[in-house]
Amino acid sequence: MQANKPENFYQNVKDALAQPDLKMIIRRTTDKAEAKRAEAIANFPGFENARKQGQKVKDHTIKYMDHYLAEFEKNALAQGTIIHWASTAEEASKIVLDICRQHEAKKVTRSKSMLGEEIGLSHALDNSGIERVETDLAEHIIQLAGDPPSHIVWPAMHRSREDVIKLFREYHKDPTYSEEIIDLVRSARRDLRTKFLTADIGISGSNFLLADSGSSCTVTNEGNAELTITPPKVHIVTAGIEKLVPSMAHAVPLLRLLTRSATGGEITQYITFHNGPKRQNDADGPEECHIVLVDNGRTKMLADGMEEMLRCIRCGACMNHCVVYKHIGGHAYGSVYPGPMGSVLTPHLNSLEVANKQTHACTLNGRCEEVCPVNIPLPKLLRSLRAQSWDKKYEPLTNRFVVKAFAALAKRPKLFQLVSSCGVIFMRLCSRQGWIKSMPLAGGWTRNRDLIEPESKTFMQQYKAMKKAKSDGA
Amino acid sequence: MNKQRNEISRERIFDAIRAAAPTVTADVKAIQNEALEILGESEFARPALLAEDAAEALTLRIEAGLVIGTSCEKIASLDQLPDSVNQFLAKYALPAELKVQEIERLKALNWDGITTEVDIKNDNTVGLCWAEYGIAETGTFVVHSGPDMPILLNFLPLYLLAVIPKSKILPYMDDYALIAGEIAQRGETPRNMCLISGVSGTTDIEGVLIQGAHGPEVLHIIIVEDQ
Amino acid sequence: MSQEIINADVKGAKSNTIKCLNISEKKVGLFVTCLVNTMRPSVGFASLKLLEEAGCTVEVPEQQSCCGQPAFNSGDDEGTRQIAYQTIKQFENFDYVVVPSGSCAAMIKKNFIEVFKDQPEWLARAQHLADITHELLSFLVDVCEFESSGIELEGSYTYHDSCSGYRALHVYEQPRKMLANVKGLEHNPLNGHSECCGFGGTFCVKYSDISNEIVAEKAENILATEADYLLGGDMGCLMNMAGKLNREGHKEIKALHTAEVLAGLAPQILGDENASK
Repeated sequence: MQANKPENFYQNVKDALAQPDLKMIIRRTTDKAEAKRAEAIANFPGFENARKQGQKVKDHTIKYMDHYLAEFEKNALAQGTIIHWASTAEEASKIVLDICRQHEAKKVTRSKSMLGEEIGLSHALDNSGIERVETDLAEHIIQLAGDPPSHIVWPAMHRSREDVIKLFREYHKDPTYSEEIIDLVRSARRDLRTKFLTADIGISGSNFLLADSGSSCTVTNEGNAELTITPPKVHIVTAGIEKLVPSMAHAVPLLRLLTRSATGGEITQYITFHNGPKRQNDADGPEECHIVLVDNGRTKMLADGMEEMLRCIRCGACMNHCVVYKHIGGHAYGSVYPGPMGSVLTPHLNSLEVANKQTHACTLNGRCEEVCPVNIPLPKLLRSLRAQSWDKKYEPLTNRFVVKAFAALAKRPKLFQLVSSCGVIFMRLCSRQGWIKSMPLAGGWTRNRDLIEPESKTFMQQYKAMKKAKSDGA
Repeated sequence: MNKQRNEISRERIFDAIRAAAPTVTADVKAIQNEALEILGESEFARPALLAEDAAEALTLRIEAGLVIGTSCEKIASLDQLPDSVNQFLAKYALPAELKVQEIERLKALNWDGITTEVDIKNDNTVGLCWAEYGIAETGTFVVHSGPDMPILLNFLPLYLLAVIPKSKILPYMDDYALIAGEIAQRGETPRNMCLISGVSGTTDIEGVLIQGAHGPEVLHIIIVEDQ
Repeated sequence: MSQEIINADVKGAKSNTIKCLNISEKKVGLFVTCLVNTMRPSVGFASLKLLEEAGCTVEVPEQQSCCGQPAFNSGDDEGTRQIAYQTIKQFENFDYVVVPSGSCAAMIKKNFIEVFKDQPEWLARAQHLADITHELLSFLVDVCEFESSGIELEGSYTYHDSCSGYRALHVYEQPRKMLANVKGLEHNPLNGHSECCGFGGTFCVKYSDISNEIVAEKAENILATEADYLLGGDMGCLMNMAGKLNREGHKEIKALHTAEVLAGLAPQILGDENASK
């Protein structure tokens, strides 16, 4: 499956809505996530306090970002970690590739990292001829299928069991001929195990970077991160600079929020803090550890007043609860990050010019903000991106014209009332039996629904007449 | 040249942050106090434990089925461990062989009739490890990497037994984080600190939970009272 | 519905019992909203009637237009300001401003201040207007402590909580509490009662097909309640859901604004609709 482009959003949406079983496929995952999250939060009376605390941790770190970045660097260096800085996605990818080349790596294992996707690392590795092995089961499935991810937590949610059966039979060395899910998982276990143990380099992302110790933290349910990182000689972490927190104690409230918001579980099975290369006599572990700290638009978000978005801990709750995502799915957004959080992030990672349509694909209903574990005001941020694209004139001309004309009317109440009463007359001309089935200029509405017939006079006309009658009577 | 590029990017990122966030303060003490203050809120922002006693709360949590794929038992003293291991092996009809973590207090036990050395790179093996800490809040055992703690021992076997000394069971994750902070202060942070709360699981195929995705399918926790 | 029916009704309707605080010396300005003004004036008259029954002295400034949501939500901040200037001027001298729509009330209460961040004088005036503005049902219940009685409507209703009212203004209990006093009316709760109906203002025409998928699902949930009436507090959402239900041929359920029911206007409105068939 070819990755959609963000600038083709209208066409992507059309294609998504035309897919007959897409809604069922999405719902299978999002409905369950929604129900399980609700249950987890009902069982945690301190959730609102945890949210406030989590938000404070992120805001504090963002406020003193330079201080904590320097702290992190100093402590990570002291652990023996090699620190790299990358301003852009290309730079970050190149740094990773250079390390791979230096070590003449033939095979690298990767544990799921959205940042890795963001900086285009998969493509970069593939293009350089290094064997890339995705070890998260979902990433493994979409790697075999050649798909982009469709969700940040369940990247293969768009693939059915039948798809997986086909893919595993085609690509696994010792495939299963059973159609049971457990046997499919075992098939992947067999296939990946030797790869874990024979890789030259393990690449991971990081859920948290701890400033006071220079640690990076991975969070998984499969345990694939530790299996990716421990056997090879070299460990490379790629992480966005917003992953910083002051200390492990500050990561704790965020861990409480993350799992409950993502899957409805209370904690993930594996949380591991990685602190540099193996110590002298350690029984196992990598001999070399690199951390690539990536900006790629994050400082721009800081400068643009979008710092609240840097709180994001990538739980996916906003998309699980988004009425638009639930109907069009992740691929339509044409970005690594779909749904509400993606519509805010993509314009910064890519550009607002190519990704402004997504900011309008939102009813501003506020559900995403309501479920966000760190209180990101996503609707407000989406709206402010609309304001930016309005100022930059990215809006289609017809939209601009209609909105401007409306605003010009609305600021002149007398004229507005006059036009309203003319509108009523016009609408009633188009109406049959109390309903308007179609009307010039209202195709967007009447293509899919009817419009009620208005009363014969506007409120204001009736109200004035009533008042006049009253005063005449008096 | 790469070094130079690295420096340039570093500078660029710091400059951009400083330009965007004019509230930057040089007073490190003030920043630290602010950070500490946030931690004070944890008391009201964490879930209730199932019992007042941390070991009891951990046990209840596992027994309630809240820790995926995990069972537990208590033994009064470490001598009883080989018996427990035997019963575990019998329960799953496994051969009398496992990989026992190579630390003195485990090696010194009477393992009569049980092979304690197997290659865990093969699948379907059993592992036994000694946990540094337990955490009641999340049903967690914690291991630290070191000369006698290979991290892979916790990930490669299909069956895993973890021994937690009762006295090392902490109520909350915050309590462990404080200890980790102290370790960091002393400059003794191990390469890995793993918080393990259940078995390797996945829901990636049609949302169905499968245990034993890459690592353990079954986890048994043994709390030792006299340690 | 004809003007005569409304007038007759406002003058001669059975009155709700007044059980509220002494609010009569407070001046209330009614912000009608453009959808009520053009599409459903009866909601405006129902609001007027309810407010007067609650003891308020109500005035409807004739120089009013739109709250500015279409401009604001499209990102046109300057257009929004132009609209907001005159809304502020028209309404800032009332003791209270009441709006029979959660989204328009939320626009005035929450969003005006967003566009005046760089204009301190107007920011203060916008903040003042925000402070005195209320959504109709929450005003009646929370501020006036008004309890209606003597209203009858046979049948069952289901309730859609519009997003702005529900999330931005926390309107939830108030309409249910008042509707519980309507004799003969039963509540059939709506599955996904607070999930967006897909209206979203300009969204429903910009992304008509996504909006259609969303409202189709909403319509299914509504029909599953087997209620006689679909009630809500926002004309936009009600028009969207009613329009979809009608397009699908479901005439068995009637959409009404909560105020219309509470003011006792439902029989006339429904009678009128039936007459026009």
